Amino acid sequence: MSNLAQLFFDAASLGGLYAMAALGIALIFGVMKLVNFAHGEYIAFCVFALIVPSTDAVAVMFLGKAPALILIPVILGLGAAIAVASEYVVFRHLRKADPVAMMIASFALGFVIRNALLATYGGRPKAVSLWPGLNTPVDIAGASVPLLQLIVILSTLLVVTGLALLLKKSRIGLEMRAAAENFTMARLLGVRANRVITGAFALSGALAAAVALIMVTQTGVADVRMGGQIMLVAFIATVLGGLGSLPGAVAAGFLVGIVSVVLQAWLPLEARPFRDAFLYTLVIVCLLVRPQGLFVPASAKPRV
Amino acid sequence: MSKLGVFDIAVRYGKVPAVNDLTLHVDEGERVFVSGPNGAGKSSLLKAISGAAATSHGRIELDGDLLTGRPPEAIARLGISMVPEGRDIFGSLTVEENLRVGTGLRRDAEAVEEDIAEIYANFPILGERRAAAAGALSGGQQQMLAIGRALMTNPKLIMVDEPSLGLAPKIVDQVYDTLCTLQEDRGLTLLIVEQSSLRAARVGGRMVLMRGGRIVGEGNAADMVDRDALAAAYFGQSPEKTETAT
Repeated sequence: MSNLAQLFFDAASLGGLYAMAALGIALIFGVMKLVNFAHGEYIAFCVFALIVPSTDAVAVMFLGKAPALILIPVILGLGAAIAVASEYVVFRHLRKADPVAMMIASFALGFVIRNALLATYGGRPKAVSLWPGLNTPVDIAGASVPLLQLIVILSTLLVVTGLALLLKKSRIGLEMRAAAENFTMARLLGVRANRVITGAFALSGALAAAVALIMVTQTGVADVRMGGQIMLVAFIATVLGGLGSLPGAVAAGFLVGIVSVVLQAWLPLEARPFRDAFLYTLVIVCLLVRPQGLFVPASAKPRV
Repeated sequence: MSKLGVFDIAVRYGKVPAVNDLTLHVDEGERVFVSGPNGAGKSSLLKAISGAAATSHGRIELDGDLLTGRPPEAIARLGISMVPEGRDIFGSLTVEENLRVGTGLRRDAEAVEEDIAEIYANFPILGERRAAAAGALSGGQQQMLAIGRALMTNPKLIMVDEPSLGLAPKIVDQVYDTLCTLQEDRGLTLLIVEQSSLRAARVGGRMVLMRGGRIVGEGNAADMVDRDALAAAYFGQSPEKTETAT
């Protein structure tokens, strides 16, 4: 029983993290048909914003020293800022370009950010202890769960509900949904393209920042590569969920998280190092069966 | 001064010209049909006016304001609304959300609610299904929704692209009745792409015939059903078979 509970908390918190990262990608894809491969670098950027720029092996806290009440909004704002800035500097000029050109530009942008981070902070992973108290275990239902896991699960629920409400109830949310379905038609009705796209990038960047805070607290490490790894999983989740579908991205993010935790727990010991191979085999099977994604947006359905 | 002025415009897709040396004036409150064969450039003309397609030459004005070079959202703000070919309803949004997309440019919140109530009064089925996904509506209902949605930006000029496409003749009658009533009530100016010149003649108004990206004939829609004029538009100057011209 306690094992099951442990498994549940592990799965839910990892799934939540993936869901948030996948949402960040799906939001931009929805309005711009851009798979933003620089998203992982937004995450790394937010992690490194916590520490003082230097190539020393020991990390000295910079923003990370601020109390959580200040730190969280500042980092979320920074994430939004770098995403909006990259739209302004790079993607805005490519709006009429081929989606492939935009995707390649996002790779290039990712390299630029990553190398800028390497140049300022050095290539070695650094130990960062942000909110170490959150890793103290709490006993719930016989399972010993780090407080952080609970916070991750709660904040994912909060973020997903908040985003759903924003999209459903607010003016900008309505415009984003309309634009995601048919951008030209939305513009013909007076919806401002710049406002919608800037809004999507800001939200996406803030989600990247949330992921960064969770990852750095969980792992205690600041590594330039950490964004790339989660970006890959998040991208797979968005494809699995049906590109452009926000609920699909969330559901598939959770699914990927749950499956990898379950595989980790139930695979025979000798097979565990190859967990990801099993995971991606399942992904391939899913895509073979439902190439359009598990949760297809209504806009993708043919209409008469 | 005319309401809408199109002066010598050209539209190209890559190197392929879609509209050439086209000049057109539409007066306030007028109803103008654009007719002609497939590929004549009718839809491209509407796209150029709405800002969805760029012009490579010439200029377009509404009430003397230059539209050329402005993005579609700015042109919508100046008072042009569009019911596109195939209707382009937002299928995953509810009926009411579809109506509200176009209200972001308005500052008269109370009038917006009145307009929505009026649309529901005119099209009771839309009111009944206001919370349903618009993609689930029938073709005729979607056409009504597209017209209602176009009204919500509070436009002076509405452009309708092929309103009869894929609809039963009875429904097409309803669509045109609705458009004409709205035009009278609101003093709208209408620019309608309609392939069937017979339909245009029955509804009444001025008709512009296009072919090969140019205007090749113009006159009262009722007079234009004349076989020779149509044959000239569809087949060039030597009419041989005219049976298919409607």
